[in-house]
Amino acid sequence: MIGASISRWTMSYFAMALAWLFVALALMVARVGFPAAHLASPDTLVLVHVVCIGWLSLAMCGALLQFVPVLVAKPLYSEKWALPALGLLTAGLVALLAGFLGLGGRLPAWHWLLPVGAVLLTAGFGLIVVDLGLTAWQRPAGPARFVLAGLASLCATVTFGAIFAFAHAGWAGSIGETILASGVPLHAIAGLGGWLTLTAMGVSYRLLSMFMLAPDVDDRNSSWTLAAGVFAITVAVVGGIFAIWLSSGLNAVLSVVAALGLATIALYGRDVSGIFRSRKRRQLELNTRMAVLSFVSLAATALLGVLLILTGAFAAQVGAFVFLVVFGWLSGLVLAKLYKIVAFLTWLETYGPVMGRAPTPRVQDLVAEERASKWFVIYHMAVWFGTLMLLADQAWAFRAASAMMMIGIVGIIREVIRTRQLADVQSPLRLPDGACAPHLLFARS
Amino acid sequence: MIEYIDVDVRPILRAGGEPFSVIMSALERLEPGQGLRLYATFKPVPLFAVMADKGFAHSAQALDAGEWEVLFTPAETQQTAFVPRASTFDAWPEPMVQLDNRDLEPPEPMVRILAAAEKLAPGETLSALLRREPVFLFPQLEKRGYRWLGGFSPDGATYELTVRAP
Repeated sequence: MIGASISRWTMSYFAMALAWLFVALALMVARVGFPAAHLASPDTLVLVHVVCIGWLSLAMCGALLQFVPVLVAKPLYSEKWALPALGLLTAGLVALLAGFLGLGGRLPAWHWLLPVGAVLLTAGFGLIVVDLGLTAWQRPAGPARFVLAGLASLCATVTFGAIFAFAHAGWAGSIGETILASGVPLHAIAGLGGWLTLTAMGVSYRLLSMFMLAPDVDDRNSSWTLAAGVFAITVAVVGGIFAIWLSSGLNAVLSVVAALGLATIALYGRDVSGIFRSRKRRQLELNTRMAVLSFVSLAATALLGVLLILTGAFAAQVGAFVFLVVFGWLSGLVLAKLYKIVAFLTWLETYGPVMGRAPTPRVQDLVAEERASKWFVIYHMAVWFGTLMLLADQAWAFRAASAMMMIGIVGIIREVIRTRQLADVQSPLRLPDGACAPHLLFARS
Repeated sequence: MIEYIDVDVRPILRAGGEPFSVIMSALERLEPGQGLRLYATFKPVPLFAVMADKGFAHSAQALDAGEWEVLFTPAETQQTAFVPRASTFDAWPEPMVQLDNRDLEPPEPMVRILAAAEKLAPGETLSALLRREPVFLFPQLEKRGYRWLGGFSPDGATYELTVRAP
């Protein structure tokens, strides 16, 4: 088939991702992990991996399973791998979390759980990387190049993670121990900076220009952004491994990575503001307005990073910095786009077969933006307040911010479920003859 | 100055034959920089998109008795090859409807094309101009038995689509 069909399991990925986000916020409200515990504590490892694998990676994979075929106008290499990958990733994450809880003494110390989790996660991400990689490789232009760079970074992230897991179990020898002792920043940079940020940037180019009726960003411009980003990740991974091998410390490497990271953000800012300037559509939809809040967080991240480095406080405040990257920039953008993607896919699945034959609602009729926007605003305000409270070392106020984020997220989840149920579509248009109501958790094919 | 190679498919068409292979083999024999001058008994609209994908801009001129002369001029930038679904090329009639969907927000272009396609009589065609390749439209057209040809203009800014009712 030419073109792109509806990805059957994208909704399942989104549902699982939102469930993990809820778990993460519940842990934060319950004072599990940072800032109540030390950054390197097992509880913090639990929290970080719930957020980064459970929430962000699953949401990103679900979106890419739908989006990469659209980018390259070719069908997904294998639709059949999507559900097994979700199963492997979920099982792997649960094993990994149980292993971390064992490290912290909350569960029996079954250290083999960590390698088991790593193997399952490697298998799950492996399926995703091969499936999306072979699809994107058919037309590696424009945003698809960012996705390919993101997938390569994902491979690096998973490799580091697997080495750490085996080292924790004592199965990785002295080399594994050495990498575990100093390689954690590289794992984090490859994951948050390479896999999640580069992919989110690439996807945002197309979605922003599509919904604002703007021309695509010229490949010559975005190539600079991509090159800076890829260079930053390559320096972090390759330079970092050399630095560990030479026992020379990571400071020099991390300084270069920070400079390249800033350059990437600046170039991305130039590209995105170009899209906004050249847009034909003046009135912005909720997903674009809320994406702007995540861009504000990205800019704030850059500013905060520079200030912390200049004042010598980066190491002490890295928790607040990562919090803003993860919840302000990445989660903010993913939530905004997820809200739109669910509405569009639900509309296409329900009304595509009868379009032109019966009156059908518009995509905008499936959502109630005015009602939804307050939950997004609450969420973003809470993230910014939470970042400030982390910087000010106010653990209780941070807990209040986490609770506020949770309120925002519950509101957004409710809106997404209502969209899926067509709850806001007026009655005569809701289910015309021949249309079939969608399932909440997957697409009927 | 571009040199044009003449290809006259009017005798083939009058005899009820299939000229696509003749046109394509003439195309293969072109030297770099050469163009194609095509004579046909109708305006070969579906061919325009195919040729656009091969990197040729077209300019069509009506001759007497409903016949057409079309100049295919090589563009500077070569487009990626595009294999249309409808591999058999026959005389598609002039479009009944011409839609310019370039400034509509997605998914409105798709909605309008499907609505217009449903109104076509069997064998009739519609044409549409779009900003992007309508990837979600194709499965819907396929399910409904429509055939289509499409491709980007040589500058890559406009996607030209022709849809034919079953």
